[in-house]
Amino acid sequence: MRAPSTLHPLTSLTAAGCTAVITTAAGTWPLSLAVALAAVVLARRAGAGRRVLGTAAAVLLPLGLSLLLLHGLFFPEGRTVLAAWGPARVTAEGLAFAWEAGTRTGACVLVLLLFSFTVSAPDLVAALAARGLPPQFGFVLASALTLLPAMAGRLERIRAAQESRGLVLRGGVLPRLAAVRLQMVPLVLGLIEESGNRAQALDARGFGAAGPRTSYRQVTDPPAQRRLRTAMLLLTAAAVALRLVASWPGAGPV
Amino acid sequence: MSQQSLILPATGTGPGAGSAAGTAKARRNRRLLELAGAVSIAATYIFLVLTQPADIANGPASFSALVALGGFLLGAVLLIAAALPVLPTSTLVLMPVALVLNVVLGQLMGSTGLPFYFDAIGTVLIAVLAGPAAGAATGALSSIVWSFFNPTVLPFAAGAALIGFLAGLAARGGLFRRFYLAPVAGFVTGILAGVVSAPIAAFVFGGTAGLGTGAVVSAFRAMGDTLLAAITKQALISDPMDKAIVFAIVALLVYALPRRTSFQFPFVRRFRVLAGKGPATPEA
Repeated sequence: MRAPSTLHPLTSLTAAGCTAVITTAAGTWPLSLAVALAAVVLARRAGAGRRVLGTAAAVLLPLGLSLLLLHGLFFPEGRTVLAAWGPARVTAEGLAFAWEAGTRTGACVLVLLLFSFTVSAPDLVAALAARGLPPQFGFVLASALTLLPAMAGRLERIRAAQESRGLVLRGGVLPRLAAVRLQMVPLVLGLIEESGNRAQALDARGFGAAGPRTSYRQVTDPPAQRRLRTAMLLLTAAAVALRLVASWPGAGPV
Repeated sequence: MSQQSLILPATGTGPGAGSAAGTAKARRNRRLLELAGAVSIAATYIFLVLTQPADIANGPASFSALVALGGFLLGAVLLIAAALPVLPTSTLVLMPVALVLNVVLGQLMGSTGLPFYFDAIGTVLIAVLAGPAAGAATGALSSIVWSFFNPTVLPFAAGAALIGFLAGLAARGGLFRRFYLAPVAGFVTGILAGVVSAPIAAFVFGGTAGLGTGAVVSAFRAMGDTLLAAITKQALISDPMDKAIVFAIVALLVYALPRRTSFQFPFVRRFRVLAGKGPATPEA
């Protein structure tokens, strides 16, 4: 098996999206768990294991704890009561619900993070533009993905500048809010000012003009991967159709 | 036609030359796309509420999750497709800025220790500066880009689009001209956005992402509410307050910007979004 980074970006996007949808449609925790484990293994192999796991933990831990608290203690539909303190009742159904929902979301998050942390953003933008998506979409995507990592350093510089002018980052809520305002206004002002300059530069180079565009970046798309994508999309459509037909409201048990 | 001629020509950022009939047809197609997006979101919400599973003891319903994901994402994509190709470059370059502001200001406000999320500051700011269509597209697009770092944001794209759209409408209606009206507009926006987003939290995730909100939902569940009802009530407690504060922050920010910057946006000049007079420009 080749590393995911050598796949065409649309192939990995389709694979991630289809896996997430099929996992949701199936809705059984063994499959969710298997998908999550597979995503972790693939991420490690692609050398992004630590980043994927770190980001996923930041997203999933609060969600998982919240689900456990919510359904573990309060699940009025539950019948098998394991323990009860006053209004709080630990039920087997509630715990199962939290486990099902948690593993399903966990699998989807891991798979999608595996995609976004292994794909090359310029390749993805070029591939999407070649598929006829508006070039504006590619610009917003690529621009945001490059702007975001630069923000931490920028905020750091603004804070250092304000601190050198006497800003104190301590105290209660009100001084803190004042400190936030002193950092926020220069950040927003700088970003908007910059974007105005960028708009003029882009317009001078014909960004807003209509008509065909030539791309400097060519992403090879082997026919085998095209067939793979079609197959995955068909499989996903079948899974969704099956789930919709099987549990259409009033059609029988879920 | 007359509407078209009212728009102030920003230098070099027009939608391009075309025959009058062509632009009229393109505009009708755009309206149809916007309408289809709104209908898709509304229909999905009504369908989910009407067919919500009465008994969830067998586990989270995949059926509702799929319908929620499909319907809301389709709506968001249609709204993006309607708005994106006609936005002028000056608005377009603001969209990445909005996303960055959503993320960074959300974290910065989080450092104050207040129990709110504040993840729509950028979207509302763009909506106030560039109008409802730009706001809706910014909300939906920024959810898509943000999902590269946090995939759980993706299903809420339709709610984010609604926030941007309503903020733009409020700005057009002049609610940002008086400082005390902005939080009121935010409060109403929060009610609608919270109600629309509740089925996503209930059916796709089976709960809320934070511990604080989870505790509020638990309280309603303890009183015997269904999951959707409990999450909707929780959203009605958190979201209006959150959005009222976000709108107030944006009002502060917009008035803190130099007039030269805020009045460079045709939307701000045309609908007199901000109180006071703009700087003397040839167009104004």
